Amino acid sequence: MTAAALAPATRLRVEAINTYYGDSHILRDVSLEIGAGETVALLGRNGVGKTTTLKSIVGWLRPRTGSVTLDGRELVGCDMMTIARAGVALVPEERRIFTNLTVAENLKLAQVTARAPGWTLDHVYEKFPRLRERLGNKGDEISGGEKQMLSIARALLQDVKVLLLDEPTEGLAPLIVREVESVIREIKAAGITTLLVEQNLYSALAVADRCYIIDQGEIKFEGTPEQVRSDEELRRRYLHV
Amino acid sequence: MTTASVPAESANAARRSLIASDLRFVLLAALGLALFPLLLHPIGGYAGLATQILIVSVASIAFNLLLGYAGMLSYGQAMFYGGGGYVAAILLLRAMPQHPNLWLAVLGATLVTAILALLVGAVTVRLYGIYFALLTLAFAQMVFFIVEQAKDWTNGDDGLQSIPNAVLPFGPWNLDLTQSLPSIDLGIFGNLGDIKLWYVFAAIVLIAVLLFTRLLTRSQFGEVLTAIRENEERSVMVGFSAPLYRLAAFGIAGALTGLAGALRACYDGTVAVESLSIERSGQFVVYTVVGGVQTLVSPVVGTALIMYLENVLSGKTTAWRLIEGLIFVAVIVFLPRGVLGTLLKQREKNPRSIFVRSLRPRTEEPDPLLKPVAEGHRAGPMSIIETFKLGKLFGRFAANHDIDFRVDPGELRAVIGPNGAGKTTFFNLLSGTIAPSTGTINYKGRDVSRVSGTNRVHLGIAKAFQTASLYPDQTVRQNCRLAALARVQGPFALQVLRRSTRLDDVDALAERAMDRLELTGVAEVRAGDLSHGDKKRLDIAIALATQPQILLLDEPVAGMSKDEARKTEGLIRRLSTEMTVLVIEHDMEMVMGISDTITVLHQGTVLATGTPAEIRDNQAVQEAYLGGHTEAELASG
Amino acid sequence: MEALIDALLNGLVQGLIYVAIAVGLTIVFGTLRLVNFAHGAFYAVGAYTGLVVAEHYGFVTGLIAAPIAVALFAIVLDRVVLRYFYDKTPTAQILVTFGIALVVEETLRLIFGGTTQQYPTPAFLQGAVQLGPIAYPAYRLLFAVGVLILIGLVWLFLIRTDYGLIVRAGTRDRIMVQLLGGNIRQASTIVFALGAAVAGLVGAAASPIYSIDPGTGFEFLVPSFVVVVVGGLGSFWGAVLGGLLIGELYSITTLVYAPAANVIIYVCMALVLLFRPQGLLGESEVIRQS
Repeated sequence: MTAAALAPATRLRVEAINTYYGDSHILRDVSLEIGAGETVALLGRNGVGKTTTLKSIVGWLRPRTGSVTLDGRELVGCDMMTIARAGVALVPEERRIFTNLTVAENLKLAQVTARAPGWTLDHVYEKFPRLRERLGNKGDEISGGEKQMLSIARALLQDVKVLLLDEPTEGLAPLIVREVESVIREIKAAGITTLLVEQNLYSALAVADRCYIIDQGEIKFEGTPEQVRSDEELRRRYLHV
Repeated sequence: MTTASVPAESANAARRSLIASDLRFVLLAALGLALFPLLLHPIGGYAGLATQILIVSVASIAFNLLLGYAGMLSYGQAMFYGGGGYVAAILLLRAMPQHPNLWLAVLGATLVTAILALLVGAVTVRLYGIYFALLTLAFAQMVFFIVEQAKDWTNGDDGLQSIPNAVLPFGPWNLDLTQSLPSIDLGIFGNLGDIKLWYVFAAIVLIAVLLFTRLLTRSQFGEVLTAIRENEERSVMVGFSAPLYRLAAFGIAGALTGLAGALRACYDGTVAVESLSIERSGQFVVYTVVGGVQTLVSPVVGTALIMYLENVLSGKTTAWRLIEGLIFVAVIVFLPRGVLGTLLKQREKNPRSIFVRSLRPRTEEPDPLLKPVAEGHRAGPMSIIETFKLGKLFGRFAANHDIDFRVDPGELRAVIGPNGAGKTTFFNLLSGTIAPSTGTINYKGRDVSRVSGTNRVHLGIAKAFQTASLYPDQTVRQNCRLAALARVQGPFALQVLRRSTRLDDVDALAERAMDRLELTGVAEVRAGDLSHGDKKRLDIAIALATQPQILLLDEPVAGMSKDEARKTEGLIRRLSTEMTVLVIEHDMEMVMGISDTITVLHQGTVLATGTPAEIRDNQAVQEAYLGGHTEAELASG
Repeated sequence: MEALIDALLNGLVQGLIYVAIAVGLTIVFGTLRLVNFAHGAFYAVGAYTGLVVAEHYGFVTGLIAAPIAVALFAIVLDRVVLRYFYDKTPTAQILVTFGIALVVEETLRLIFGGTTQQYPTPAFLQGAVQLGPIAYPAYRLLFAVGVLILIGLVWLFLIRTDYGLIVRAGTRDRIMVQLLGGNIRQASTIVFALGAAVAGLVGAAASPIYSIDPGTGFEFLVPSFVVVVVGGLGSFWGAVLGGLLIGELYSITTLVYAPAANVIIYVCMALVLLFRPQGLLGESEVIRQS
């Protein structure tokens, strides 16, 4: 197992992207790197550019300059479908469950649109037993936690190269937060490369191999969870109220 | 700062130059219309066609008033066109068969269609886009079938024939419009004697209508109408009643269309049920879109072009209607500005000359103009705004619930909370953009829960939006003037001839608002061309120009660079000395720096309220931001 | 009694034509947010295609050719013109599709002349069926059954197939479909062609019942819009319910007080728009950012 000792090959590389909403400059030279099998957290307060970074990766927004590469393949300029089919899966902030479809149909859709299959349905039901009970329910008839599980399950049904999780614990009751956290740990254990965007420091630090902190559209810090834990000044400056 | 007082002569001179410009317009139009039938002759047209074109143009101008200036696509204009024709014909046939009087017939028809338009408008103007188009179409179909079935009055499918030739009493004369002009041979331009008095009359009517719409579109009314089309959300939140404006525009357009229909029926001597048909409604769409919606005259050009082609080509080929259709599609796809609009590309859209002036000398701070209309401020026993058990459900999701909230006059209150905490919903409830599902809002002791957003602006509650909501095609000054105009004139004013520059306080208020937000330097810049920071500040200036007592600012520094954010923070701090300010913000540096008090929303309700220091040390707040974990847990890993 | 049954059956047949056009309008609006004034033209093109093919190769061949021709026509239209208007305002969409409808109508007039034409009921479908007290034309009954089956098949396509799943998901959230790797463009084109093919097929099948002329498309389009608005723009079953309602309302009013028949359906639409603008089965619009 000498390979494991080496730094993992870079799976997703974001290089100096600048993204705008209309004429407001949101991301300023943002660069990130995620190695294969790594779990990386992107931390920061509300409205500092975390979601915009994810949208820039998946082709939802197009960076004006800079590059995003997946295993060396340029993604900037590709449309959302192409990027998704290349293996970049976004679990968006608002979950975006299809509320007019049942839970079963939501899962089926993810299988239908996948370039190659990922987890099997049985595997999904094993990890998310509550979804199995809710198969017949419409997307707007399930709880926030179940929606989050479903949204993650949709991504895992596909052959994911990089999983992007946008604030998976946001707006959930503390008990459900723990459940989602354990799911993320399982995803990590399964060796899936993950970029986790969080305001919820505890969740993120518990699971991340490395962290970035973003503020005002710029990456301000890169390091280990231990560094963030031990540096109160850093947290007060960029992360706390 | 261009705030020097302007002498009265200068205003008079400006007014004179406006009148001169209107005169020039009338003379040019008269000249063009005098030459029109002569120029039409060598290319295969005839004098009667010229008359028809002029009459139908009136209806196209009316249609364009709706589509081009008010942004309303009506698919039912035929109900007014045909309606006007039938009313005029019935008046002439039944009410005055012995002494047919054209004035009475046409005025009667115009009046009836105006009333019809107001009735139809009352139920349609609250709908938009496809729904508005389809509902106007439905009403037109109703009118069509009612007229078709009311055979006793309308003669059903056969239409009304042999309408008496009405005379036009004018001073001592009774003019017969079917008489010809004196016969003079003009060579290739035909014979003057081919032209009947009808043409002259139609030309005079058209010029009058053009002049009227020209004045209207530049009037206070037209200014607001254009503003509502450009940004209705903003217009409503500076205090204009959008439905009333649209209703008035629909009524005016209906009356003008009825006028055209009545003239056409009298000119033809017949009126057929086809004049009420969907195809007829569609024709106005084609004429206007082909001409272009950018200027007043373009629908006339489109009408003339299509009607001319129709007459010339229909004799030569059976495919002329196909050619018409192809022209129409080609114009939409390739020349979205219309034929005339494309030719005049260099000219600005809806040209408007804003006349820069400021009627009041600058005064020392605090400015009495910007200060709330009445009201003592700072402290006092009464809250300025207060909510009880306020809640908002979206479907089954409670975006806000059980919010008890109270702000004292003069306070600067920050509202913070994690994403999805319901902050913007809360502001929308306060400003009246949405109605609460439960609970009440008291403003200065009065329950305003059911008062519309527009009326709350006039009570003194103004809002700047999270994403700056501006009039992108207008200058910074004009953006502020519109808000000031709403304050000065109220929600609605049927000032269709007078310009808003005649109102004194408007310019002064706008000037002050720009001054406060340090926008005077960019006063003449198009709002759409501003930098992000200037846009956000302009949005605040617009809110300020309504003379609010409470200013609601939704993330005023979001997306700004650090320097801009600090500058804006300073401006907000200064504003807060004159009025109550509520601000949603994520920039903690700013929130901690400027707030008197902070309210934290979490999961749709109030988690805590206190001074910046209290909030910073509040355990529950920290947990909300850290996602249900304590700082201790975090440190222990 | 006989008159009433007859009226109900006539209302059913007419209503089903509206349903067939309205279903296409509504699913295209649901997935593409496109308001298509040219949809009636698909009906007319289908009817004329059926007519021409049937004259040479028989009625059934005409029924097969019509939907295929119309679907191809729709795909060309979509690729060449309409796709540039997906993101435009409803006003621009109405104008351009209205223009296309004009062009199609006039092209048909140029080719086939302005006179009304009617295809005779094929010999093997002539005759009447005894239904209780009345005898009703067999072809009309067969037509009604056929349209019902067709609507059912469209529903099955939407509910059972993979494309249908993508389409239904797309009506709610086009972005998320793409984030999952779904080809929303392809699905949209299929939906557009499917809606057109249904209108074209029904146009061809109805030509023995209703005579056609170049203006037929628009004549059926306007009531179909009424149907869609009454049922709820974007709602499948709304279009079905609305179509049957409007068809029966028209037919029964004709029986009771004929002069009011044409007025009543517009009164019905105005009332619905005023009191339930989202339509009988429509959902109030889900407002979503981006």
